[in-house]
Amino acid sequence: MRVMTSRARAAIFAPIGDEGRAARVENRLAEAIRSGVLAHGERLPSEPELAQMLGVATVTAREALVALRAKGLVVTTRGRGGGSFVRAPESGDLVEDRLAAMSRVELRDRATVYLVVLTGCAEIAAERTDPDEVEDLRDLLIPLNVSDVARWRSADSELYLSVAALTQSARMTREVVRQEADFGALLRIPLNEPGFREATATRHQELVEALAAGDAVRARESVREHVAHSLERLAEIHEAVRR
Amino acid sequence: MTKTMTPIDCVTQVEQHFGPIVTELERVRSEVAALFEAGPVTTASLRERLEPGSLEFLRNPNLIGGGFVVAPGVLTDRRLYLVWWQGEERDFLGDADAPGTGEAIDYTRQPWYRTPERTGELTLVGPYVDFVCTDEYVMTTTMPVYVGGRMVGVAGADTLVETLETMLLPGLREAGATLVNGHGKAIVSADPQLATGSPLTTARDMIPCRGLPLSVALS
Repeated sequence: MRVMTSRARAAIFAPIGDEGRAARVENRLAEAIRSGVLAHGERLPSEPELAQMLGVATVTAREALVALRAKGLVVTTRGRGGGSFVRAPESGDLVEDRLAAMSRVELRDRATVYLVVLTGCAEIAAERTDPDEVEDLRDLLIPLNVSDVARWRSADSELYLSVAALTQSARMTREVVRQEADFGALLRIPLNEPGFREATATRHQELVEALAAGDAVRARESVREHVAHSLERLAEIHEAVRR
Repeated sequence: MTKTMTPIDCVTQVEQHFGPIVTELERVRSEVAALFEAGPVTTASLRERLEPGSLEFLRNPNLIGGGFVVAPGVLTDRRLYLVWWQGEERDFLGDADAPGTGEAIDYTRQPWYRTPERTGELTLVGPYVDFVCTDEYVMTTTMPVYVGGRMVGVAGADTLVETLETMLLPGLREAGATLVNGHGKAIVSADPQLATGSPLTTARDMIPCRGLPLSVALS
């Protein structure tokens, strides 16, 4: 443990330096574009203006803009009325971009937190759920013949959020809200595959039945299988986008 | 102040909190009905109509939020909308997005919306964790609003369970009593082992609160 601690401390107190500044500028602007703070079509300040505002060299601002252009978050036009303009990402692109930017280690790291939190919720919820609450959950399940992927994704998200809420803990629920925003969108990428949807529907059903029966072990197991299967598919997709 | 609180006093205290909420929801109901009867309604005209009265009512610090939530399709410019103010700053909510997908949460499946829609009556939901509006452990009071036989939405207000605990526990302790919801679950109890949300396991004498699906159970 001592080694880890001193290594971590060394990383914290290492000089920051100038390297990575362009990446920081890029990240800040990318976040602003993805969150909609900078709106689609909005004109960005010129390179020198941007550099001055952010307190970096012009070449650094330029480097950041090149990277944003490569990610499709900024479009640059030449000539009169030209400049750099914000291009809002499609929601699908955004998720895939995030996945592409992630290492395998990070993917597993986030998945582990998600798994532990969600299986824990299922276990506690099974002990506390009563019949009419189970009925509300049943209404969230969608028929297999629905092919609208967005609907599957939101139903899946809402089911797990509802299970979190059944723990009766507001802090736990807020943690799951954060997990869903952070990692849930990635885990739901495979829902565009019909076979995966079928398996998901089965596990949703199992989870609701386990909660109805007050069976904490089965509830936990069902979530565990769901996350494991999602991750298995996601690892394949990750491999494809990273290659 | 020498007098100890009796279970009846506890009932009175509960009624003093929820009674004004019911009165307020009735007021919002008539405001909303009048607005819809006058012609097409937009998000802006609805908010404008309700804001002064709602903010006045929400000066009560024992409430975490309140307002009016529309039925899908009754507004000209938005399908789902929450004309709702909440938190210490009484921030305006408007839309509620699902985390991860960023899509609007379809709140019409929530018990606080669905139950009054089904029964046509005043509803008290909870204790439950509300992830649509407050992200808190709350009790939600809602009342359906009808215009020409069609439900245009529900008026509502949220109370934190924590607020109820602070407000009611001293009295309940003295009375040795438990506040129970309509499903027989404990909300606040003199018994420290009886957690909020747990069902009462033993049969007890119950005193109902007037006009509310709440009772005070004696130990």
